[in-house]
Amino acid sequence: MAKRRAEMAELNLTPMIDVVFQLIIFFIVTVKMNEEINEDIILEDAPHGPVITSDTDPRTLIIEVDRRGRISINNVPMSQGRLRKILVGRWNRYHGAFPVMIRADYRSQHQHVRSVMDICSSIGLWRINFVAVQEHKATAGRHKGRKDRYR
Amino acid sequence: MKRKKTVRKNAENPQLEMTPMIDVVFQLLIFFIVTLKQEDILAHLDISRPAPDSEQRDEQVEEMVEVIIGHLQTGFSMNGVIMTLPELDRRMRQLASVDKEVPVIIKCTGPSRHRRLIEFLDICAKYGLKNLSVFSM
Repeated sequence: MAKRRAEMAELNLTPMIDVVFQLIIFFIVTVKMNEEINEDIILEDAPHGPVITSDTDPRTLIIEVDRRGRISINNVPMSQGRLRKILVGRWNRYHGAFPVMIRADYRSQHQHVRSVMDICSSIGLWRINFVAVQEHKATAGRHKGRKDRYR
Repeated sequence: MKRKKTVRKNAENPQLEMTPMIDVVFQLLIFFIVTLKQEDILAHLDISRPAPDSEQRDEQVEEMVEVIIGHLQTGFSMNGVIMTLPELDRRMRQLASVDKEVPVIIKCTGPSRHRRLIEFLDICAKYGLKNLSVFSM
């Protein structure tokens, strides 16, 4: 009997708790990341465009325009007036121009993108970048089979 | 007596139970495999907007290409000639083989889809044309 008790040792919970905490932290971090991207926006392909690398200027502001022309930053919808205030605020903070990227849905009309570009140029931001998909990894096949690529 | 003591010590410090740890690690592994979402590789297409005095500057440039992106079926026109995207691709390749610094003025109509602009900018990126200005009509 004494031998059996010795074999049935108590379970060491410490490594399990460690792993569970790691999981919780992972969830918290990834959930926040997902919220910052507007998943409704589908980008057009640009297989020949230069790739956006991780060492992009940290001052870069990404403005999203969805298919109906709604403007958002980090998935937070906003009016044109609010966007202007944000841009002016950043301009003052950085004492000059900063990179702007427009992440517009491929179905959006130019007039909606234009309204964002006009706000940018009204405060002196002449250089604008459009975001497009260079290579599909997550959304494989989203644009595949679109026969109207060359129309 | 000495032997007995060592046996007791071994019983008090049993080996670490690996089974639950392995279970949790496998759970983690499965979780990662399921939730792993590879990110698309994104590209940036750079353009410049017309400055207030750009019209005056444009007049000075003799060699300039004007591409209109419309919302109709054909969609594109270059220097007043309506053409399809493959035709435009060919023309831009010819143009880039001569001079990559040639100013390209892109004029988009309001109802035209953003997709068409990106398609054209991709062609410009393909042939290394960098002097691109986007006007709105």
